[in-house]
Amino acid sequence: MNRLSQLPTLRINPAEKISFSCNGKIYQGIGGDTIATALYANGVRIFSRSMKYHRPRGLYSLDGESSNTFMHIDGIPNVCAEKTALKEGLAVKAQNIKGSPENDLLSFMDKLHWAMPAGFYYRSMHKPAIIWPFAMKQVRKMAGLGKISPSFIMHGKYDEIYPQTDVCIIGGGPAGMSAALAAAKHGLRVILIEARPWLGGGYDYRASEYDSGMPLHQRARDLAKKTEETPNIRVFTSAAMVGAYNNNLITAFQVGSENDHYNERYIEVRAKSVVVATGCIERPLLFENNERPGVMQIGCAHRLARTYGLLPGTKAVFSIGHDLGIETAIDIHDLGLKILCVADIREDGQNPKLVAALKERSIPFLRGWLAIKAHGRKILKKVTLSTNQGTHHREYNCDILVASAGMTPITGPLIMAKAELTYDNHTGFFLPTKLPAKMHAAGRLLGLNHPLTIDASGRHAGLLAAADCAADVQGELKQAHEILDQLPGPERGARFVIPPVKNQKCFICFDEDTTIKNIDQALQMGFDVPELIKRFTAAGTGPGQWGIPGHNLPLYVAQCHGDVDVSPKPTMLRSPLVPTFIATYAGANHDMYKRTPVHDSQKKAGGIMQRIGIWRRARYFSEDFSCRDEILNVRKNVGMFDASTLGKFRIWGPDALKALQRVYVGDMSRIPPGKVKYSAMCNDDGCLADDGVVVKRGEDDYYFTTSTSRAENTVEWFRYHTRYDGWDFHMVNLTDAFGVINLAGPNARKVLEKTADTDLSNEAFPFVGYREFTLSETIPVRAMRLGFVGELSYELHVPSSYMRVLWDLLNKSGEEWGIRNFGMEAQNVLRMEKGHIIIGSESEQRTTLHDVGLGFLWYRKKPEAKTVGSFALKDTEQQKGRLKLVGFKMDDSSRTPEDGSIIVDSEIRGFVCTARHSFTLGESIGLALVESHLAKEGTQLEIFEASAGDKRLNATVVPTPFYDPEGNRLRM
Amino acid sequence: MALTITCPICGKRNGYEFRYGGVEKGPRPNEEGLTHTSWCDYVHMNECVAGIQQEWWFHRDGCGVWFTTYRDTTTNLEVEKPEVDR
Ligand SMILES: [Zn+2]
Repeated sequence: MNRLSQLPTLRINPAEKISFSCNGKIYQGIGGDTIATALYANGVRIFSRSMKYHRPRGLYSLDGESSNTFMHIDGIPNVCAEKTALKEGLAVKAQNIKGSPENDLLSFMDKLHWAMPAGFYYRSMHKPAIIWPFAMKQVRKMAGLGKISPSFIMHGKYDEIYPQTDVCIIGGGPAGMSAALAAAKHGLRVILIEARPWLGGGYDYRASEYDSGMPLHQRARDLAKKTEETPNIRVFTSAAMVGAYNNNLITAFQVGSENDHYNERYIEVRAKSVVVATGCIERPLLFENNERPGVMQIGCAHRLARTYGLLPGTKAVFSIGHDLGIETAIDIHDLGLKILCVADIREDGQNPKLVAALKERSIPFLRGWLAIKAHGRKILKKVTLSTNQGTHHREYNCDILVASAGMTPITGPLIMAKAELTYDNHTGFFLPTKLPAKMHAAGRLLGLNHPLTIDASGRHAGLLAAADCAADVQGELKQAHEILDQLPGPERGARFVIPPVKNQKCFICFDEDTTIKNIDQALQMGFDVPELIKRFTAAGTGPGQWGIPGHNLPLYVAQCHGDVDVSPKPTMLRSPLVPTFIATYAGANHDMYKRTPVHDSQKKAGGIMQRIGIWRRARYFSEDFSCRDEILNVRKNVGMFDASTLGKFRIWGPDALKALQRVYVGDMSRIPPGKVKYSAMCNDDGCLADDGVVVKRGEDDYYFTTSTSRAENTVEWFRYHTRYDGWDFHMVNLTDAFGVINLAGPNARKVLEKTADTDLSNEAFPFVGYREFTLSETIPVRAMRLGFVGELSYELHVPSSYMRVLWDLLNKSGEEWGIRNFGMEAQNVLRMEKGHIIIGSESEQRTTLHDVGLGFLWYRKKPEAKTVGSFALKDTEQQKGRLKLVGFKMDDSSRTPEDGSIIVDSEIRGFVCTARHSFTLGESIGLALVESHLAKEGTQLEIFEASAGDKRLNATVVPTPFYDPEGNRLRM
Repeated sequence: MALTITCPICGKRNGYEFRYGGVEKGPRPNEEGLTHTSWCDYVHMNECVAGIQQEWWFHRDGCGVWFTTYRDTTTNLEVEKPEVDR
């Protein structure tokens, strides 16, 4: 198809050729094309088939107001072809077809409409109940739009930004740009959001006069240039606004061009004031087959010609209800399209200049007429026009019917922001009668049509927004108001006409294949509120919720009521207003994690790193994931473990002790000098929150550790539970400031003695002791003698910057004692053999201190401390029916159940927390939470594990610790 | 998500930065004379007001302070302290 050239409004570059495929055929488009315009240029008229009836669907709005041009593009279903820029090599497919778009084997569905009345799914298929499983399968096979391959991977880059601004303007048309410029002039920061790839709105492609001979499209370009050149206006084009919330929060999705660093990005704008200048769309004309390919809206036909250089067909009929339709008919005629007739729903009120221009061109003009039927089995062949009353008919053979009942405002942002909208009889619009605080409306969506009024209304709204931001605009605002008052106000809109046809396929919603007959059925069944009829008939629940069905539904329902007291009410719209990729919601997916100071050292030593919580940690140090050698080396020689992820805190100040007494269940007033105190924290229900050790380093000065996962919440926890007390204490999170190496095994002392400047003998530094000394005369160490893994061990806390040196030093000192690294997995087995718990493994949300056998930590004689969890512990201490932590031994020592396997008899009785084969003991052992009647020593447990099928695994409850029950090894 | 919270130290900030700490119920009761029912009510029961309530917020991605503010639960907007509470 030859393109029009030399038009100043064109947005295409014919020199740039772009090849792509559609349904297996190769096509060529040009630079600036959307997928839909390129297909249209290649003669494609049927893009996809409709959801329910498999009716052929074509280009209708060119603004994504329905799913008509939803196609399968590069593996992604439901991509709106009319809004997606054409790119080299795209593979496009029609969707919802069996066969080809022209010959869809499922098109017989269209003949079955009588079998699918409104609410068809709700009303049938469940009686008798037995048919549902069968019916469901058939419905699922037929229903839904698009198919995605289960193995499909969404490629691309998705970003998100959260800008703040003074004024946010939705809509980059003349009103929006005027508002932006007015607010920006006062030095305010302005964000302007526009859905199309360029600014200009409704002026962009119109050639009629703005003022003093200047065409509208020139005015649009002048305004756009000024807007883009204003440094404090930030313009987002190709950005569809999708949500408006209270507090003036506006969200949008922006599609990136090839030069952008993102494919799509989420924009969340926080503004002091908002101007809604979204303009209008066209209200679809209702008549039989009103969605037959070849039927299109005024703006679609006009933009095909003026923006993309495509005359939509060869012979066109116009059936319109607004002067814009006449203006377009004249313009397209002058560009070369044959116009057979222009029918106008309005009996009068047309601009006489436009009527004269039609006459000049000998285009027949019918007042009070409209299209009532589009003929043609697949694409438009003929049109029947009728008087509004249905008294006279005329037929025209044509391939294009430009149909539009009138204009209707884009009220999405206003509806979502909970503005009050009222139906206005003069304009036929839903107009805002009460706007949320600091939100303003401007431009064509208020029913304004005169270009000077639209500009002035934008300027006025921009100044109101500036006033919201405390700019001094009173004088200017008064003046703008006066100017606005003197200009022509809202224009009379076309009244709503129900087509003089009966029981036919007049579609009110294209996405859901809802006809006015379906609405009639709903009304007959007693539904009278549009919102409920929307639910029942599905009209307006599709991706084009804001577009095609938007205002016809409430207008039709109100008209059918015939009750003058019932004024139409718009139906609710929901975010996202236009369809968006879930990938964009998911965002950039940066894999962000923390590394300990010896991350690289461990990796170099063969550490296999795994993501655990927010950290990446060494889980294994060999390919043997049972960690046999790592474990046995700790038991026999000595191992070292990076425990830097432990939460580490300093708390100090006159009331630090009070705070410790509040959150720890133990008596923190008794921490012996030179010793660590092990204790736990519970929540207000007595359930275990954390465990760790506390050291008193000086007067009112403590150092304590928490489990890794609690490091981020501990300061918040302390402050929350002391928030009423006004206590004087300070906390610092030292988690990242200190690293920790746990040196464990019978040779640990020998290794450390090599470089320590202190006496490390068992007498000088006994079990649960705390010492501070220096290694190699340089590294300051805070050392704790703990026994988490059940051997003689030293937990060495050093400033993070010393960690790598310490790591190397210990490796070197330990060489002759057989030192080896051990990772998370080895530690997990070692501590389990010792019966030591890890919170989150051996406890869950409901597990109390007593349930895990740590009741001895609770000091109950400090009620004045109001210890968190203490009061609940009194209740839960003797409570029946709790799960208790037990040790168990597998009857078959070669079989270990998976962690999380359930313990059963005829019911579920508990679950396995951690279970491993113990190389130290030659047994398979584990810890489990079981119902208290199963907790007695010697009880037989039956374990269900998915991989064992019907066969239960047998285990016996045994006492813990499994290893070294006397605890001699820790005290060596 | 549209919520903003005014931190007494950092000022008005995006609601994402804060953690909710429940409705204001007064300090922890003394353990003496406390029943398990009244304790459970203190910890878990809420009035679920449709309107303005005083509630606790923690400036997690900020200065780390716990403070109370007033919010209208019907609009999800932070509001001025109501007259009756002054
Ligand atoms: Zn703060």
